[in-house]
Amino acid sequence: MRKRRHSGEGHESSTGIDLAPMLDFVINLLIFFIITAVFVKESGLEVNRPTAFETPPDENDSESIQIQILDNGEIWVDNRPVDVRAVRANVERMSAVNPDSGVLILAQEEAPTGTLVEVVDQVHLGGIYNITFSTTQ
Amino acid sequence: MQSRRHAPETEETGIDLAPMLDFTVNLLIFFIITTSFIKEAGITVFKPEAVTAENRQSGNLLIAIRENGDIWMDRRRIEMRDVRTLMERLHIERPDDTVVIIADRESNAGVLAEVMDEVRLAGIQIMSIAADPGAG
Repeated sequence: MRKRRHSGEGHESSTGIDLAPMLDFVINLLIFFIITAVFVKESGLEVNRPTAFETPPDENDSESIQIQILDNGEIWVDNRPVDVRAVRANVERMSAVNPDSGVLILAQEEAPTGTLVEVVDQVHLGGIYNITFSTTQ
Repeated sequence: MQSRRHAPETEETGIDLAPMLDFTVNLLIFFIITTSFIKEAGITVFKPEAVTAENRQSGNLLIAIRENGDIWMDRRRIEMRDVRTLMERLHIERPDDTVVIIADRESNAGVLAEVMDEVRLAGIQIMSIAADPGAG
């Protein structure tokens, strides 16, 4: 049956490995990764959270600015209820007196997260990024 | 030598596929590397807005807290006591993962604090609270 030999058997078959199947396979992989690629960009705020092993934040610490958030969403600074928009001014005033101070946010358990984030935002606008978040009963 | 029945009729190679293969493999490598395997929370919550919210590139473990206190992760609802176990497992798989907690603006700060504690106990130190960089 040697007469029916095909040209591939000859000396001119210097093409090496046929790359087409590999290319098909690679393109399939490529399509899979393009489709599954998710470009989620979640933006957020960073706050510190003291762990149980560390010392709990001292509530009488005069170094830090304390902001309390009550269950009903009220914000208290310096034993006075303040509006969300006034938080920034308060923080700026207090950080001018004591520039190294951080902010301690004491939120009650039922305080809404929206208020908490608004307060964190206002404190950031006031120029302080060292924020510690703690909850009280 | 035995002849092959379905051998190609010609050995005409046509276009050389090697450069195209090189290019495609490069694209493939790019997409493999940039795939970050984000664990989505699976629900949409009403996020709070903050002007100073920063884009975090690497935040890829998303935990959602609904306004009624339900915790969602990886497209299913989980209990508070499961957060730590799940986070520990994911943290071992990829230690440089960071967590973004998407809390509804009506959710309780207590639940948020508890979730943050659980995540921290699982060994993930970098986490942030999601906020829309809206008008504030």
